[in-house]
Amino acid sequence: MPEAEAIRLAQQGDAAAFERLYRLHNRRVYSLCLRMVSNTAEAEDLTQEAFLQLFRKIATFRGESAFSTWLHRLAVNVVLMKLRKKSGNESSLEELTEPDEDSGGPRRDFGGPDLRLSGSIDRVNLQRAVDQLPPGYKSVFVLHDVQGYEHNEIAEIMDCSIGNSKSQLHKARMRLRELLHEALRAQAREDRKAASADSGGKD
Amino acid sequence: MATITCREVLAHLEPWMEGERPLDLQAHLRTCAHCSSVVNDLESIHTEASSWSAAEQDAPERVWTSLRAQLEQEGLIRDAIPAHEDAAKAQAPRAGWFSSLFPRLPRPVLAGAYLAALVAVAFALSGPVNKRVNEARWLKGTQISTSPLSAQLDFDEQNSNSYVTRANPAVTASLHQNLALVDKYIALCEKSVNEEPQNEVARDYLYEAYQQKADLLTQMTERGENVQ
Amino acid sequence: MSSSHFVPAQWLPKTSWITAGLLVPSLLLCSAVAAGPRRQEQHFKVAAHPVITVHNPNGLITVKAWTKSEVLVISTPASDRIEVDAEQMGNRVDVSTRELSDSVAPDDMRADFQINVPEDAELQIHNDAGNVSVANVLGDMNVETVAAGVDLEDAAGYLTVKTVGGSFTCVRCSGRVEASSISGNFRLLDLRSYHVWAQTSSGNILFNGEFLPNGTYSLKNYSGVIEVRFSPGDSFDLSATSLKGKVNNEAKLTPSAHQHHFMPKWGNALFGTFNEGRAKIEMTSFDGTINILKRD
Repeated sequence: MPEAEAIRLAQQGDAAAFERLYRLHNRRVYSLCLRMVSNTAEAEDLTQEAFLQLFRKIATFRGESAFSTWLHRLAVNVVLMKLRKKSGNESSLEELTEPDEDSGGPRRDFGGPDLRLSGSIDRVNLQRAVDQLPPGYKSVFVLHDVQGYEHNEIAEIMDCSIGNSKSQLHKARMRLRELLHEALRAQAREDRKAASADSGGKD
Repeated sequence: MATITCREVLAHLEPWMEGERPLDLQAHLRTCAHCSSVVNDLESIHTEASSWSAAEQDAPERVWTSLRAQLEQEGLIRDAIPAHEDAAKAQAPRAGWFSSLFPRLPRPVLAGAYLAALVAVAFALSGPVNKRVNEARWLKGTQISTSPLSAQLDFDEQNSNSYVTRANPAVTASLHQNLALVDKYIALCEKSVNEEPQNEVARDYLYEAYQQKADLLTQMTERGENVQ
Repeated sequence: MSSSHFVPAQWLPKTSWITAGLLVPSLLLCSAVAAGPRRQEQHFKVAAHPVITVHNPNGLITVKAWTKSEVLVISTPASDRIEVDAEQMGNRVDVSTRELSDSVAPDDMRADFQINVPEDAELQIHNDAGNVSVANVLGDMNVETVAAGVDLEDAAGYLTVKTVGGSFTCVRCSGRVEASSISGNFRLLDLRSYHVWAQTSSGNILFNGEFLPNGTYSLKNYSGVIEVRFSPGDSFDLSATSLKGKVNNEAKLTPSAHQHHFMPKWGNALFGTFNEGRAKIEMTSFDGTINILKRD
């Protein structure tokens, strides 16, 4: 059943049409939720809630935007609501490492000279860093870098401008870079501690 | 070609990552280890994240099952039900608040509640559809489906007593008072179901009371912190 | 002659008294201003159908519609140990109250809000205690509280309200209304809604609104009173069941054309059609009282 037909029938309450729409879109919605909350149980609940809201409102869909865009907007709202409710001291959306107002020399905190991220980024540590992003940054990052949406699509999903989407994505990546470097430095400190403890024990 | 500073490069990173490649910026990156390190890091982050979509999977089937039940309960979808299934469906417990609060249940309780509903429906559908239904069988069926749920909720309630809530005293008092109220309703509903096992209205209220209790315990957990 | 433990009065020059007379109240005023509530006002330009979310632990939240394409958030935290964040992303404004330290007393975790929104705004409000009032907003709404009461007036859209103990009053609302609570009372007055679903356990439910053709009205509690008022011109199909309580009916009903699954042998049940039976009313209680009464 083509999507347009499924939408039309779903607006009349047809059960098979509802299921068709679910089958077509559940993977992307579930993946989005999973990336945002990193918990399968919560992701399942959020996926269900997003589709529930979709099907409650489907009669009002008039085709001004793509159906998937509309659905993902609902899903993002559902997830953001959940994250807002959970977090009591989330970072401001404006948190960003601004370039120094100095002569243009490199900042000391843009990675220590001996630590490189390349080769250190894997799924686990990047996911950990993503988990620490503020909800707004996280949404744009997941939609763009993970799920491959273009900025004009993200602008429609997030109800923001294209410029805003690009700006938020850049801030998200810069923040992730900081978080990954912090994790790398912490690991290096642990390794040095362990090494000196070993050599102390042997003496 | 005029040289640009590291500060200017960093200020232009956003368009660089969107594909704009000015020559002066390229020249700077060829010679500046720090700035090229920043660019490499951002590109690595993007590359790694992009690989995640290949591992995307469908949501578990239970999500659709639960969603469909909720849609039916709200009357949003309609199916033509064959006549011979209609009578069997009449004897299955109605969802009521049960489904409407589904998303709010903590995972262990949700699993217990879902299992309870499945067992109850399976029991109802497997029984003979005739007017002389065995009361003891109904009672046993209800107990089979509600016992694990009741046990799980009691366990969660005992754990909730160890939470020191940082919420407003009025909120804490309201949660505890309403929990006591729901416990009372559960006891009364269980008594009613024991007395009239075939009374689907009483069973419906019992399942809903369990659902409310689970929801309350979730709210208490969200607002407190474990002192143990 | 009065004495003082400090500098004897007669030793102070007159100008010092004048200075002290001006200085002391000023210092008191400054300290009062410094320690008292810090009112904050923020404006956000928005496009059509903005989404406004509010997360607050305790306080009075008043939301009103206005004609500007702008969201105005006026917040008054109760202490300087909490802070109100209001930030905008695109067409969405998120307002939340947060602690500035881990040792904030529960009584200090309070902020009051006065929020003006475009009338087509969508609202999502979480406020545990206090009160939530919304007037003349026509977008969808989701309000959740624990002990806070909820008052909606002249609202429309998809309205969902969930409380634990807070009461819910809905006046002159239209669209869809769904409300659930454990001990909160519901008063649904002058509604013009096609779909009303209200469930509370120990609270009372009063419905005195229109029964629109093809509308569905489901009212349910465990104990307490469920009451609907009707006029001679109304048209509805009624199902009223109280398992262990009473059903009091003033409507002259004719037997229903369709069958019911509930067996009347359990409890007191009443089924029937009033006039043409265009709307559908379902009232259920475990041991409460159900009243179907004529309007005054």
